[in-house]
Amino acid sequence: MRWGMVVDLSKCVRCYACVAACRIEHFLPMGINWPRLVAMETGGDSPTVSTYSVRCNQCKDAPCVEVCPTGATTRREDGIVTVDQDKCVGCRYCIVACPYQNRTFLSKDKDQGFFPGRVVTDFEKAGKKLYKHQIGTTEKCNFCVERIDAGLAKGLKPGVDREATPACVNTCPARALTFGDLDDPDSEVSRLIREKKGFQLHPEYNTDPSVFFIDGKIGQSDDPKVDDKPEKEPEAIGVGE
Amino acid sequence: MEAHQWMVNYTRQTEWIDRRGIFLWIAFYAGGLGGGLYLVSLYFNSLWGMLVSWLIIAVIKGGTHLVYLGKPLRFWRIITRPQTSWLARGFIFVMLFVIFGAIQMMLTHWLPDSALEIAFKTLAGIMAFAVALYTGIILKNIKGVPFWNSTLLPILFILCGLLGGFGLSVVIALNGGDINLAAAETGSRWLLLANVLLIGIYLWRASVKEGTSKQSVLEQLRGNSAPIFWIGIVLLGIVIPLGIALAGMIANDMSTIVLVIGVVCEIIGGLALRYVVLKAGAYKPLVAKPQ
Repeated sequence: MRWGMVVDLSKCVRCYACVAACRIEHFLPMGINWPRLVAMETGGDSPTVSTYSVRCNQCKDAPCVEVCPTGATTRREDGIVTVDQDKCVGCRYCIVACPYQNRTFLSKDKDQGFFPGRVVTDFEKAGKKLYKHQIGTTEKCNFCVERIDAGLAKGLKPGVDREATPACVNTCPARALTFGDLDDPDSEVSRLIREKKGFQLHPEYNTDPSVFFIDGKIGQSDDPKVDDKPEKEPEAIGVGE
Repeated sequence: MEAHQWMVNYTRQTEWIDRRGIFLWIAFYAGGLGGGLYLVSLYFNSLWGMLVSWLIIAVIKGGTHLVYLGKPLRFWRIITRPQTSWLARGFIFVMLFVIFGAIQMMLTHWLPDSALEIAFKTLAGIMAFAVALYTGIILKNIKGVPFWNSTLLPILFILCGLLGGFGLSVVIALNGGDINLAAAETGSRWLLLANVLLIGIYLWRASVKEGTSKQSVLEQLRGNSAPIFWIGIVLLGIVIPLGIALAGMIANDMSTIVLVIGVVCEIIGGLALRYVVLKAGAYKPLVAKPQ
């Protein structure tokens, strides 16, 4: 079993619902985001826009796991890479080693509250009890591992049953995100990857990410022979850290 | 639009150089300098040099690296897991050097030329070499930053550390320490030349390797890091020490103050080299071709 995600670039409408859902699910401090969006435009008179919803790729050969000096970052049997914040020493080697830049160091200035110095919301108070974020440690997307584990314990199927599926996937109104077992050839993710030629970001690093993209127009390969080359160099139009 | 430049453009790493990353920069340099000085001190059998190198590694290197950690009180987790990564091994090298070096200096003081002293000199020497080397290996192993991903980097860091070590040994010799001044000067000159050669080769190889590492080189030569590269590394780290070395060879006698200025310039050059290497480390754009 290896949990994975497919992002359909042709469906994403840049609504940021995945980003918001993740913040609510994990009570994320204001200064950090686990999933992020980038929208890019190519072409001249009839531009094509592709929006990439990116997050930790849960790589099979994860550089962050290899470099972690304390064993805080580990890869589970189901392929999810997790960070044990009680073990993390905050050396940030994993952040530097991640070629996808999908890890964040939680420093004090990133956890100043939603209304710094004015009021602590009930949401924040609940978050302090339910989902502790430790300043001085590293954070990243964990595919909502708590939901998956709890769902499996109830006999639910992640990617099919909402209760066992990552919050961003449940929330996406455009159904651009699909979750499931990459090792199961009959799963929806495997079918999408197979039929729509799913690709991973920067395969040249040999990290074998568990997040795939389909229907992309740009950035699919470094090799100009196989790349869908844009008419002009891409320009970023997306915002939102 | 600024917020996502890291996704669509070359972006440099920031964690290990910006803000508190400055501590890591100092730690990395101090490791090289301390390790280099200890090896040079072993060559000259200089107890003063060994003491200074021990202080550099134990206090500056160890201290700044601990201060950099987000959770410094958990550092014991690092030293109990040597199998995990070179960062863990590096912490262990530092700790062992501090222990072996302290025992060795006591033995040198009270039991000179004993078999035990030689044994601890060997052990501390191996650890000093490892301390000077491991920071280069840490960077070399990061595939996502092509500019660092070169076997030349650990060699460059070792040579730079030895150069700083010879420089400090000159200062120790000038202050009446147990080091031969002429030999220290000669060693310093040769290492300076070797460093110049290696920096040139390193930059050339990085510039022809692939696009992102070429961008890192351009960042140093023409970008925001250019003043530090040209003033810190080239002028202070190479031209002035080389000029002083040549003048010393011609005049056969140099004033103490000029020699000390040369050493200070060498140290600044070494610091600048580490700074620029860390600062220029860049990632490929995540989803787009570079602009």
